Amino acid sequence: MIHLVTDSTADFTAAEAASLGVHVVPLTVRFGDAQFRDGVDLQPDEFYRLLADAPENPSTSQPSPRAFAAVYQALLDTPDDQVISVHISRKLSGTLQSALVAARDVDPSRIYPVDSESVTVGLQLLVEAACRDIAAGADVATVIANLADRRARTRIYFLLDTLTYLHRGGRIGRAQAFVGGVLKVKPVLSLQDGEVQPQSRVRSRQQGLDALIDLIRATGDLEDLRIVHAAAPRLGVELRERVRAVVPDLDADIVDLGPVVGTYSGPNAVGVACMAAVGAPGGE
Amino acid sequence: MSGANPEAVPALDPRPPLLEFDGGELLNGLRGALAYLHANEEQTNQLNVFPVPDGDTGSNMYMTMQAAVAAAEDAGEPTSVSAVMDAAAHGSLMGARGNSGVILSQVLRGLAHGLDGHHQATAPCVAAALGAATRVADEAVINPIEGTILTVVRDCAAAMRAAAAQSADLRIILARGVHEAHAAVARTTDQLPVLRDAAVVDAGGFGFAVILSGFARAVVGLDLGEPQGSADTDHRRSPRLRAPGDPQEPSGNPAPLRGAAAIAEPVESWGCCTEFVVEGPESDDVALRDALSGHGDSLLVVGGAPYTRVHVHTDAPDEVIAIASRYGRVGELKIEDMSAQHRAVRDHAGARARGRAAGRRRVAVVAVASGGGFHDILASLGADQIVEGGHTMNPSTEDLMRAVRDANADAVILLPNNDNIILTARQVHVLAGDVDIRVVPTRTLPQGISALLCWDRDHPIDAVITRMQSAAQQVRTVEITRAVRASRLDGREILADDVLALMDGELAQVGSDERTVIEELMASLPDPPEVVTVYRGAATTEQAAHLLVVTLQLSYPTVAFELQDGGQPHYPYVLSLE
Repeated sequence: MIHLVTDSTADFTAAEAASLGVHVVPLTVRFGDAQFRDGVDLQPDEFYRLLADAPENPSTSQPSPRAFAAVYQALLDTPDDQVISVHISRKLSGTLQSALVAARDVDPSRIYPVDSESVTVGLQLLVEAACRDIAAGADVATVIANLADRRARTRIYFLLDTLTYLHRGGRIGRAQAFVGGVLKVKPVLSLQDGEVQPQSRVRSRQQGLDALIDLIRATGDLEDLRIVHAAAPRLGVELRERVRAVVPDLDADIVDLGPVVGTYSGPNAVGVACMAAVGAPGGE
Repeated sequence: MSGANPEAVPALDPRPPLLEFDGGELLNGLRGALAYLHANEEQTNQLNVFPVPDGDTGSNMYMTMQAAVAAAEDAGEPTSVSAVMDAAAHGSLMGARGNSGVILSQVLRGLAHGLDGHHQATAPCVAAALGAATRVADEAVINPIEGTILTVVRDCAAAMRAAAAQSADLRIILARGVHEAHAAVARTTDQLPVLRDAAVVDAGGFGFAVILSGFARAVVGLDLGEPQGSADTDHRRSPRLRAPGDPQEPSGNPAPLRGAAAIAEPVESWGCCTEFVVEGPESDDVALRDALSGHGDSLLVVGGAPYTRVHVHTDAPDEVIAIASRYGRVGELKIEDMSAQHRAVRDHAGARARGRAAGRRRVAVVAVASGGGFHDILASLGADQIVEGGHTMNPSTEDLMRAVRDANADAVILLPNNDNIILTARQVHVLAGDVDIRVVPTRTLPQGISALLCWDRDHPIDAVITRMQSAAQQVRTVEITRAVRASRLDGREILADDVLALMDGELAQVGSDERTVIEELMASLPDPPEVVTVYRGAATTEQAAHLLVVTLQLSYPTVAFELQDGGQPHYPYVLSLE
């Protein structure tokens, strides 16, 4: 049988992962000397409370190869077992690197680490679609080919409340261009092909939601979408209402952004993962 | 007398008909037009609908015309009317400032088209040139409205072409044109509601009539019987025209037109922007104006005993203050070295440009701003070049062109950030050669900032422009200033020095102090904005601005207020509401 492994940046709750049959390897979040396994010892609510009071920014680290190896070994019980391991973009984290090391050590012929080139709700959409493929009886090659096809059509658009956390965390990439402004701005970013791309800067949340809607529109017809928020449930609901007006036939779930990505987004961020339909402007 | 009977003038003129004029005479006519405009510059400036520090139409047209004449003079021997007009048209385009300056440059360009290839100008060729001038000027404006310089140009050209169909005498044709120009100017008050409310005629139209009068005086030596401002005619220079609605007009309209008469050469030196009040029973505004005339540019004397406000650009502020102190106690003194500001801006821009000269960019942004704080903000948001200018100083096409060149890019996005600079920005492409010029028509600095916020060098330019345009529409701009004279606007009485709040260019609140006006304006909004950015002006202290923001924050706890140093002149506060 084909098993699916992902990491905690997919932001599945334990219950969701269990019902999908997906195995989650946690990354680590550290506040000073206190160390937490993402989603295991630390849930989003508690994380944003800690973040608000923390004297300095938390840091994050990828799972060790050993953590992956333990999961892989447990899953490769019979000769028929195979593992597809889908993870946070390698341009954002070394997680995939650990998975590759573990796969090589355990059994490279039966473990297939895949770069989702995405994270959080984008990673969720890809993992769930792969689950459906497996349930429909697809073989490993088909599941992986479909993943590659879908990840090219998947992007996430984010509205951050501030650039501060992204800047402090050093994961700023090309959004570096946004730093150094005299005015307080809220960045609008996209995550596409695994990379954070600056889209625009706005002064107010309303302008930010407008910008997200424009980006969704420009993506064209959608196959799937999902909303994520960082300690800003009302903003998530507001975005869902706005999205409904543009994409009436898809009902977007709203997900809590987990501690790892939350470390870089900061609180009061909202985002939406869009999987463009095949042939749509964003689906090429 | 409000105008001569058009038939009476030529009938009483015993001189032989004038059938043609050559390049030398054309140049002479342009010089005459310039001198006459010079004499009437302040008169034209005072025809301002809003009693606020604003782009001065008279000065803008004067500087545009000056560039035209300078270019015609530099072109060498005036061999033909075609050569002179070509040079003048090109010069005016380079020097065009403000909307009226740009339209004037288009009129000259149209005339140059019409005179193309002609050695001498005759009646039929003048008629054809006027047709071209009307057409080109109309094309320059996207949404032309009646009651502006365009209407005056069109009516005047039609009258002259009709006259040319009946007579080959250029004296008759010009006389008819001058008469019709002034009649058309008088009609503008009723064509545009804003002009009617303010009881003024259109300043650009008036400027055009002045130019035509000056031209006719020089070319055909006619005293064309325009309305003369006899009471304040200064014998040392050309007589000044009287615009309808002028206080000396016996018809007795309310008298919104007050102010300076002194005009020095405004171009060579910026001098010091010197402002103060003279307080005391002797501080008579007329006496002060006379005493200070000739001591600087842009002299503005408003109010009257016992409290008169003086604004002047001068190289010798001490001298001006010494003279003024004979009339009362001088207070609220403010002296800003405009040359230094100007130099600093230029040097700053120059340094940035040099730092980058190595690589040509694909796309760059050139923005117009007034105030050091705004310069810094725009630069921090990625503007490559910033041109000094705003309400009271409109940059010329050439100023913008220089910045475009310094930006060293294949395509340049221009952010004019002022209503009166948009048209100038739209002319830059004519001079820009192979640089692709795109104008995002931002009307205020907050609009420009919003547009710049979504600027991205690496995105396709068409998509970026669309986003910048829509972003500019998402911000509301409030400008707080003081009335430079008493006025009536939108049915409201405004006293000199009243605090005015303009929202997106419309009068929104009037009051006596800045904080109350801003609070009343906030209270009048149907929904409170999410973010309010307060840009304090050069004359506003940080403490005062801080107090304002703290007070506003108490009244509107859900709104995020942000205080920034704008450094803009004349406007104590500019607010952006988002």
